[in-house]
Amino acid sequence: MTRALRFGLVAIAVAALITFPYWSAGWESSRFATTVLRDVLVFAIFALSLDLLIGRAGMPSLGHAAFFGAGAYAAGIASQRLGTDQLPITMGAAILVATALALIIGALVVRSEGIFFLMLTLALAQIVFAIAFQWTSVTGGSNGLSGVGRPVIGGLDLTAADRMYVLVAVVFIAVALLLSRIVGSPYGRALVGVRENERRMRALGYDTTRLRLSAFVLAGAIAGVAGALSAYSLRFVSAQDVGIATSVRGFVMVLIGGAGSLFGPVLGAAVVMYIERVLSSAIPVAETVLGLVFVAFVLLARQGIVGVGLAAWARVRR
Amino acid sequence: MSAELVFQQALNGLSFGALLFILAAGLSLVFGMMDVVNLAHGAFYMLGAYVALSVVQRTGSFWLAMVVAPLALAALGLVLEPLLLRRLRGRHLDQVLLTIGVSLVVVDQIGVVWGREVRSLAAPAGLDGSVALYGGDYPLYRLFVIGFGVALAALLSYVYSRTKVGMRIRAGVEDAEMLGALGVDTDRLFALTFAAGAALAGLAGVVAAPVFGLQPGMDLDALLYSLVVVVVGGLGTLGGAVAGSVLVGPADTFGKVVFQEFALAVIFAIVALVLLLKPTGLLGRIRIAR
Amino acid sequence: MGEGAALIEIRDLVRTFGGVRALDGVSIAVAAGERRAVIGPNGAGKTTLINVITGEIPPTAGVVRIAGEDVTMLRPWQRARKGLARMYQRNELFPPLAARDNVALALAVKAGPYRPLERVPSTQPRAADALLERVGLAGREGIPARELSHGERRQLELAVALAQAPRVLLLDEPTAGMSPAETARITELIASLDRGLTMLIVEHDMDVVFRLADRIAVLHEGRVIADGPAADVRGDVRVNEVYLGKAVATA
Repeated sequence: MTRALRFGLVAIAVAALITFPYWSAGWESSRFATTVLRDVLVFAIFALSLDLLIGRAGMPSLGHAAFFGAGAYAAGIASQRLGTDQLPITMGAAILVATALALIIGALVVRSEGIFFLMLTLALAQIVFAIAFQWTSVTGGSNGLSGVGRPVIGGLDLTAADRMYVLVAVVFIAVALLLSRIVGSPYGRALVGVRENERRMRALGYDTTRLRLSAFVLAGAIAGVAGALSAYSLRFVSAQDVGIATSVRGFVMVLIGGAGSLFGPVLGAAVVMYIERVLSSAIPVAETVLGLVFVAFVLLARQGIVGVGLAAWARVRR
Repeated sequence: MSAELVFQQALNGLSFGALLFILAAGLSLVFGMMDVVNLAHGAFYMLGAYVALSVVQRTGSFWLAMVVAPLALAALGLVLEPLLLRRLRGRHLDQVLLTIGVSLVVVDQIGVVWGREVRSLAAPAGLDGSVALYGGDYPLYRLFVIGFGVALAALLSYVYSRTKVGMRIRAGVEDAEMLGALGVDTDRLFALTFAAGAALAGLAGVVAAPVFGLQPGMDLDALLYSLVVVVVGGLGTLGGAVAGSVLVGPADTFGKVVFQEFALAVIFAIVALVLLLKPTGLLGRIRIAR
Repeated sequence: MGEGAALIEIRDLVRTFGGVRALDGVSIAVAAGERRAVIGPNGAGKTTLINVITGEIPPTAGVVRIAGEDVTMLRPWQRARKGLARMYQRNELFPPLAARDNVALALAVKAGPYRPLERVPSTQPRAADALLERVGLAGREGIPARELSHGERRQLELAVALAQAPRVLLLDEPTAGMSPAETARITELIASLDRGLTMLIVEHDMDVVFRLADRIAVLHEGRVIADGPAADVRGDVRVNEVYLGKAVATA
């Protein structure tokens, strides 16, 4: 497949994705499909950012929702308190808050590894959750933050469902491109090195603590972007956005889709969303199905759908 | 704060601590032996409470529930360990992920079988009254909880340090690989340990139900508190579970009185601090991190 | 040899583990371009010495200097930036990465890793391949490290260290676990390295030591009991008692 052909196909796919609500307008369930796809893309961004940690840097975080929720709350609160819905401001606030939080938490967790890292990120995210849950005056507490406005860019109002979708799709493409660039860069390779043999990386002259911290902060910032998009989409932020369930979901998405690949987390987001949104209306045991699927993957297909697919492809080619 | 209030809160703290011990002991033991943090521990706790609910509904006997629920959980543990965890021997992180999946299934199934409304379980007859103490009437059941916790700690401690099984478990906590090399059937030991951990979680669920009731989300609360206790007190040992629960129980109770809304945040801040400064906890012992 | 000419200098190094004095006042000075071997029976403190020099273990007391600069307080990665490279006794490679990518990570340090938006320079694979050819791994560049044979992995280990373009190379038992043929090959390889590269070699195989070393320091129970030109150490009675005698018995 020539480079030009591949580029062309990708360009078509991207265009199709961004313009989805328009060419699917004739479908019966177009509205629903647009909403689901929008939410899939929001979580795909979240999952992609988490995969930077889990799949690239080898840092299994169970507290990533802290940054997602922080971004969501920041965007919502900014729009309400600052009296403006301008996207640069509310999204800017989301990125700022998420990044700051990631710096604080990152500084604390970055020296631990494996199961300890897992537990530490879990514990610290729980603090954030507890604060969000109790700080009713700011976050709305257990009732959540409602009435979040849809963003505005200059004079362009994004309140309409299709416009909101386009925003999400565009941001998703941008994040995917950014991460794909990062992954192929010297920085991305250094992260893989840290994951595979931190001792050796240190002996080579890499400041591995700084590498891990930067990855953690970058992932947190992107999760904050996803959170802001979630706030705009649902016009609501709940304490659960910062909670362990969201963190676990992210982890499940990355694993099922395939950690360490770019397409994997996106696929994982689609699968999990499908189970939770579409399947759950058909059968009452969606969470059970999700749990069983997850267990099956951990046992049998640890590398996720993408990993299995790549292995099968390699075998076919021989 | 008046002296009476302090006294009453101290008792609350101790009864909460006793509950925490029963809850955390299983988690600590499983980690010490198998290097696995069982993230389904809260789900097991929840299941224990709901099983007790059904037993009490059918037979009216709380005491029967206190026997049946742990046994049911032990059975579950005996099935799950060989079926799932054993296949991932040596892959500790993956085993932890597996337990996440298990908890998703268990919690959802509880909702399917028992529904998702808030339920309550009455204390057994004879323990449902109160006793006049310094500061006013105090629920008899909570005093029972304290007593039960202490008795259980003593029993477990005896088993742990004076029996052959206990010796094997202690050796396994030290070095499971070596134990296997010495000819002990580690597969069986691991399965039994996991089952015991589940049973203890279930027992905690039964004992806690009259105090805290049953509702969706109780698994998360239990999991988080048991993690707090085990991290603070020390991962992997019974002594650690005791130390942790004795500290966290009263700290949480008084914290809620003093800090009110942000008590939970304070607790987790303490966890983070301990994990940073002394990752093995106050009395813990660990071998591997990955 | 004046002290000022020393590229690596260790002064009165002490390292205790619990009650054990793994290093009990070790002083060694290696001049630029010199090839110094450190030998001694198991448990003499050789690997501890290397770990203290690289910074993976802090000394209980004493000073480590590289090119006159006190690096005792510096972290391993900082010392690596000063020109220190290490070949580990047990391979420390990146198992799933191709041999070429293992080397590439070492090459990339100089340019700095914080380049998240750049592409990997196209010159890098070629430079990596050239280095792999130098150590005798031509044709194996694309093979993941974990699929290489033990001898090949030792060669890769050396390539990775060399890729850092170090001033000082610490070799911790380079021939560990190798067959006689592999041992001979890697020994010649090390011997053929640029004379400007200063080396500190820990080894058990005395043939390798005498092939490579200009001077030998003998470590016994954490202390240097002999330190001089290779030929002199060979004839030293104490050394023969303590070490070479044992080596003969166990060989």
